[in-house]
Amino acid sequence: MEMQHQVRLEVRSLFKAYRRHQILEDVTFSAASGQCVGIVGSNGCGKTTLLSILAGAVRADKGSIRYHGREAIGAPRVFDQEVAYVPQENPLMGELSVKDNLSLWYRGGRKRMEEDLKNGPAALLGIDKMLKKTVATLSGGMKKRLSIACALSNHASVLILDEPGAALDLEGKAEVRGYVEGYIRSGGTVVLASHEMEELALCTQMYVLKGGKLYPIEAGAPEEKLREAFQM
Amino acid sequence: MLAHLVFWRLEWKRAYLKFPQVFAGAIALLFLAIAVALFASRALYGGAAVGRVAVGVVLPEDDLLAKRMASMVSSLDSVKSICDFQYVDRQEGLEKLKGGELYAVMDMPEGLIEGIMDGSNPPVRVLLPAGAGAESQIFRELTEAGAQILSAAQAGIYGGGQLYRSLSREGEIPQMEEELNAIFLSYSLPREDYFRHQQVGATGDVEVSVFYGISAYVLFLLMLAVPASGYLLPFPLNMRQKLNLAGIGGASRTVGKLSGLASLFFTLTLLTAGLMGALIWAVEGERPAWEAWGRPEGFLGLLLVCLAAASFVVFLYRAAGTLMGGVMALFLTVTVQHFLAGGFLPEVFLPLSLRVLAPAMPSKVLMDGVKMALAGAWDMAVAGKLGLLTLAGFLLTSLWERWER
Repeated sequence: MEMQHQVRLEVRSLFKAYRRHQILEDVTFSAASGQCVGIVGSNGCGKTTLLSILAGAVRADKGSIRYHGREAIGAPRVFDQEVAYVPQENPLMGELSVKDNLSLWYRGGRKRMEEDLKNGPAALLGIDKMLKKTVATLSGGMKKRLSIACALSNHASVLILDEPGAALDLEGKAEVRGYVEGYIRSGGTVVLASHEMEELALCTQMYVLKGGKLYPIEAGAPEEKLREAFQM
Repeated sequence: MLAHLVFWRLEWKRAYLKFPQVFAGAIALLFLAIAVALFASRALYGGAAVGRVAVGVVLPEDDLLAKRMASMVSSLDSVKSICDFQYVDRQEGLEKLKGGELYAVMDMPEGLIEGIMDGSNPPVRVLLPAGAGAESQIFRELTEAGAQILSAAQAGIYGGGQLYRSLSREGEIPQMEEELNAIFLSYSLPREDYFRHQQVGATGDVEVSVFYGISAYVLFLLMLAVPASGYLLPFPLNMRQKLNLAGIGGASRTVGKLSGLASLFFTLTLLTAGLMGALIWAVEGERPAWEAWGRPEGFLGLLLVCLAAASFVVFLYRAAGTLMGGVMALFLTVTVQHFLAGGFLPEVFLPLSLRVLAPAMPSKVLMDGVKMALAGAWDMAVAGKLGLLTLAGFLLTSLWERWER
């Protein structure tokens, strides 16, 4: 019973099809606080669709998603309050400043934004040092950090990251990885889709998504094992 | 609501960040639009068409009465305002006609006046060059009209004479002729008056230069979207999904973009109009007529025009989806519908089948809106159409956003 309280995310029998093509079929998994779930799979296997459904951006055909025991499907407020979603492409307005972008996702909550810039996720991500910069002039790593800060404006305890290290240089990857590691250590729950071994090393649970189904594999498995799992 | 307000503020900020590019584009477009307007105006009314109609008159030798009649006709105001008469002999007249120096030759027959008096009516031959142009056509219309007036007058007088003779009142015929002549004159004189003061134009109730000014402004406004293309592009899918999650749906996004662009259009209109006015003032020393825009009706009318134009453009870019697609769609749609709206060539010159489409074209609605704003007089029908165009663009864009969700 105590274990159930710790479970932050419960996904049961999730189905999704685009026209006749079944993308997800009976996807079930759960994650507790301080856990990181890694989803791997070949390009186009449905990782982004799965994460979008978990974030509430795309509707599932069937199934259940619970955050802290609250059913999220059909209740957009639950997604809004419980999940921080960072898509692969940064959802930022390039012409505007970092501060403007933050203010969009803080939705006018200026006081809360200023507090977060001093002590919250935005401060941890180092956003306070680049507030006046125009987003278009930032490096890939900085943009990703800003995207995470924007996503965490709701102080969600579940962070969903879609290939966070894609198109980043080594320094950028290290910056993002460092933050995600800290987030997990502080009790946050992360669901991560990635091809990067360094990022997958953070995972406490791992799944291969193939033919719409999730297959568990050993967390921290070496690259060869992952390749084998891909070819199953 | 606060989330929507923050989003709209940021959309306006994004729009105004494009201001330098759009302003530079506006200046370039302005010169282009003026050039197009001048060219179209010249093509339609310029060159040969504004020239006077040179007419040769061939008189029978020693026919003093015919000469007096020709000089009387040429002294009529309605004729004098268009035609220049030259007395020539037949050979000279034909040569000048061939050489393009004359647009028509009137060959007066022997005994013309006597013929009119006795009712035999020898016809005046009007010679026009092969493939007669507009001037020759105008002169033919003039002579036909004159002939019809004369025939009507003549028929009236002969009919009256016949009636008086049948009643054995021949002595009263001269008085009857005099009275009938007075009546015919009273009809012809107001006709001259009409020709003097009433202008008939293809451009409706505005002068040609004003019409093309309005048309060029509408074209300029719609094409201003090209330098603002970056702003008009729809957000990428993931951004739209994130905004949806934050409660900022398609309708709110459309409101933000539409109002941002309309505000940019409005500011640029005031700025470029100010620049143009200052230029005209400096070059011609004539103070531009800006008073109408100062009135609430003019100001509001212009605002509505900018809103309707923005709505049309925002929808085009949303439907196209990409930068290149948006620019192409804008060029193609704006050019075609501006033509159908009678923006390049006034509506009356378009085939009847196309003319019925004009009222439904956004350019037509916008041009009527600019006319209303310039006149500074509120017209509910025009304002309603502008509102409808804005609403249509807003609804279609919002639906598209929803459909692509």
